[in-house]
Amino acid sequence: MTDRRRINGPPSGTRPAVFASSLKSASGISTGRPQRERQPNELRKLFLKTGLIPSASGSAYLEFEPSASLAAARSSPQSLIPPSSALKLACTVHGPKPLPRSASFSPNLVLTTHVKYAPFAARQRKGHIRDASERDLGVHLETALRGVIVAERWPKSGLDITITILEAEDDRWWGDAPDSHDAPWGMMNVLAGCITAASAAIADARIDCLDLVAGGVAAIVSDETAEGETSSPKLMLDTDPAEHKSILSACAVAYMPSRDEITEIWLKGDHSKASLGTDDKNLGHEALIDGAVNAARGAHTVLAEAVKESAERFAGLMLGGNAA
Amino acid sequence: MTSTLPAVAIPGQRLGPIASFSAGPGTHVQNANIYASIAGPVLVDAHPSSKTKSTLSVSRTALRNPSAAPSSSTPPPPTTTTTTTSGPQPPKPNKPRYNTLPAVDSVVLARVTRVQKRQATVSILVVLDDSVSSHPLNPTVSASDNDNIEAILSSAANPENHSSSDELRFQALIRREDVRAVEKDRVVMDEMFRVGDIVRGSVISLGDQSFYYLTTARNDLGVVMARSEAGNMMFPVSWKDMRDPVGGGSELRKVARPF
Amino acid sequence: MASTAPSLTLPPSQFARLQPHAYLLAHLSPPASSNQPSIRANGRAPSQFRTTYANTGSLTHTNGSAVVRVGDTTAVCGVRAEILPTDDIASWSVSHSSSSNTNKRRKIIKSENEEEEEEEEEEEEDPNEESHIQDLNLLVPNLSLSTGCAPGFIPGAPPSALAQSLSHQILNLLHTTRLVRAEDLRVWYQPPSLGGEELERHNAEEQMDVDVDEAARKDGEVKAFWVLYIDIMIVSMAGNPFDAAWAAVLAALRDTKLPRAWWDVDNEMVVCSDVVGEARKLTLRGLPVASSFAVFEADAAAGWRAVIVPDAEEERLIEEGDRKGIQRRWVLADPDGYEEGLSQERACVVVDKVRGKTVIVKMEKNGGWALDGKELKGLVDVSERRWEEVKTILEQC
Repeated sequence: MTDRRRINGPPSGTRPAVFASSLKSASGISTGRPQRERQPNELRKLFLKTGLIPSASGSAYLEFEPSASLAAARSSPQSLIPPSSALKLACTVHGPKPLPRSASFSPNLVLTTHVKYAPFAARQRKGHIRDASERDLGVHLETALRGVIVAERWPKSGLDITITILEAEDDRWWGDAPDSHDAPWGMMNVLAGCITAASAAIADARIDCLDLVAGGVAAIVSDETAEGETSSPKLMLDTDPAEHKSILSACAVAYMPSRDEITEIWLKGDHSKASLGTDDKNLGHEALIDGAVNAARGAHTVLAEAVKESAERFAGLMLGGNAA
Repeated sequence: MTSTLPAVAIPGQRLGPIASFSAGPGTHVQNANIYASIAGPVLVDAHPSSKTKSTLSVSRTALRNPSAAPSSSTPPPPTTTTTTTSGPQPPKPNKPRYNTLPAVDSVVLARVTRVQKRQATVSILVVLDDSVSSHPLNPTVSASDNDNIEAILSSAANPENHSSSDELRFQALIRREDVRAVEKDRVVMDEMFRVGDIVRGSVISLGDQSFYYLTTARNDLGVVMARSEAGNMMFPVSWKDMRDPVGGGSELRKVARPF
Repeated sequence: MASTAPSLTLPPSQFARLQPHAYLLAHLSPPASSNQPSIRANGRAPSQFRTTYANTGSLTHTNGSAVVRVGDTTAVCGVRAEILPTDDIASWSVSHSSSSNTNKRRKIIKSENEEEEEEEEEEEEDPNEESHIQDLNLLVPNLSLSTGCAPGFIPGAPPSALAQSLSHQILNLLHTTRLVRAEDLRVWYQPPSLGGEELERHNAEEQMDVDVDEAARKDGEVKAFWVLYIDIMIVSMAGNPFDAAWAAVLAALRDTKLPRAWWDVDNEMVVCSDVVGEARKLTLRGLPVASSFAVFEADAAAGWRAVIVPDAEEERLIEEGDRKGIQRRWVLADPDGYEEGLSQERACVVVDKVRGKTVIVKMEKNGGWALDGKELKGLVDVSERRWEEVKTILEQC
């Protein structure tokens, strides 16, 4: 239990703070659920910047724009309990570097991905050691990137991609009982962010890629109406799980726009329920994937801009150098 | 046709049809079109003979104008990129380079980490591009490799990192028979290299999973920097001797011809 | 310099990589003829720190957070407060239950009653105060380098020796500076008085000396402590992680707000209020600022031959050289990664200013003998100036 390499807290452990307001009956707080103020196909803004970590071959920092509720809570705080959260992560690329001595010969670039949450990234404190969900994210990220990198141009070398998540997305609204949803929906958004940031960092490291791969998320949600009943399921892009009462299914993709190819699909939840409940055929899994692809297209424009901006800075230097 | 080319490309950007161009480094071909595979300035290498197609490539290097003397104090302007070596250098139609890794015939600078009876182990510090070795006296064309001072200054390790830093570099072997071209059987490795020496070598083979193979069997290859046993930087006096300017003693090395 | 002779054909970047020591030395001691000032390879003067930037409160799930960037070294610090009920502390009921905390508690009640008046007054030190923080591990700093911040730190590996050492240095500094007040971390319970409250209040003053235990029980008891998990992620590592990490800890603690917490008798647990107005900031003791230095020696061999202490003769020669203007060693403030790799001797000075007076909170040096008392005094002056800089930066964020 005790980890000798770290500073441990009290041996008996500690308990997260319990707020009096959350002890009240569920009906008492349900009014506090943040509301989505975006159109169903409107994405949150992305902040993406490359090259902030000079000791890495490539790096990128990515931040989601806070949802309306969070932005409001920031500017005029009403409660110490944040209504939702907004993804913040840093990605570094190290390499191409020699493979470890124990590795066998590889004619291609060997990709290693690693995703870790900071202990303060989520509503519940995260452990220092990677848990299953973090490993899962790493594997999804690797498959998303493996199809993009031109690996045969970099024989017998390795590329390490490390992502540190400083702030994660919520899996659900904090006021809902922890067991009210089965799936950790926030992970989908985190994956999409990881893909976009890693893509920017790889471009910053100038590793050959087929395209700038971007991540996107779409979900089929059924929100509460004003009367407290659930409305018919709707397809929404770039969902913030805190803003929805019930997410029926969600999909994250890694998408290459110039080739119209998908390198990774992660679909969770029961989308059949949504399409069964209504006659709307647009709520099948294909619609969900299309929605996620559209979200990824949106992320790609930001990604392309960030990469282009850094490439122009780079080229500008070249011209300046010649002029001097 | 060239007028439609962007000055700067990003990965996945279509550059031109394969019918009019041939694909160079930093690009790839998809559906009879050339696409960029890295971000950077687009170069068109027009061949003198109009029969062949021009080569489209995306440069991984920015041709900067570093200060003339190495010891002068103006570092190049900081950049946010940390690219490594060489791309296609326009002046000469060199063999195209698709990556920054050591390749056969690359000239590298490496530090000796181990000397054994039959071989010396070195770790590769710098891959020099061809233009550097062909125009060694013109530092302006040598914008190469690992040359981002900002990155070097920030990354060069704390002591803890230090011990493992050799594992982050590509390793190579200089076998006894590759040390020099003459009197190969009389080579004594201890009289050729010492641990810590900086050696200029040429890659002869990509080797196995862990080592490249280097040769120093040329006049311009061999030890370029070495410290004496007393710890002073030595200068070359002959093809097999270097001298300590302080102590005055000389030590044996396989010396590279100084330029 | 002999070392530059064979390398004339190298561009600066390769020179820097192949002969780092000579490269830095060439910058610091330019040839007299060139009339160039002695300047570091990174363009800074020897006692110049890197541009520092701080930002607080941007992380949603923390009680306090900060991002501090010193040059290219970036530290992100998040403070998370959790509850440690005294019932969970094995030794609590035996040793602490109600004794020793009386005076302190009384003081707080008093100052609450008398509003701001006593705030400024330097509180008397309670020896138990800090032992609580230390004995109960109420401050838990952990620093992580496994973030991809530099090549060589393998993500997912257990904390490296450097990370462990930095975590402990931060913990020790938190303890020795007594930055956080134990009182801020206590959650009190005031049993409902069974009438006659006025009377008891009134009598309390007299009772205190007579019957400490009695008074304590009436005043209330500690039901829980806040434990502050202080996690520092070094996101980008370009030398001197300690200064950046400590500044991040300081800025995050200054940003930290604890919710109002009370013992809920019905639920038998500590419950907090989420009302922003009721949360209070920590009242930190002072503003200790860390400044680190590295000593660069012109004699390259000194580094790897440094097993013998130089004798008086050698020292005399060095001093003579100094007088002639030939500098053989440089003390570099806020070293970057490159400089750290080239110097053996390090120094760290932590200073604070109390009413205009400089207080040395910590002074540490290791790895060499170049810094003597006189030079350390000089470093304190530099650290003082740095304190002013950091103070301005932290107050603006």
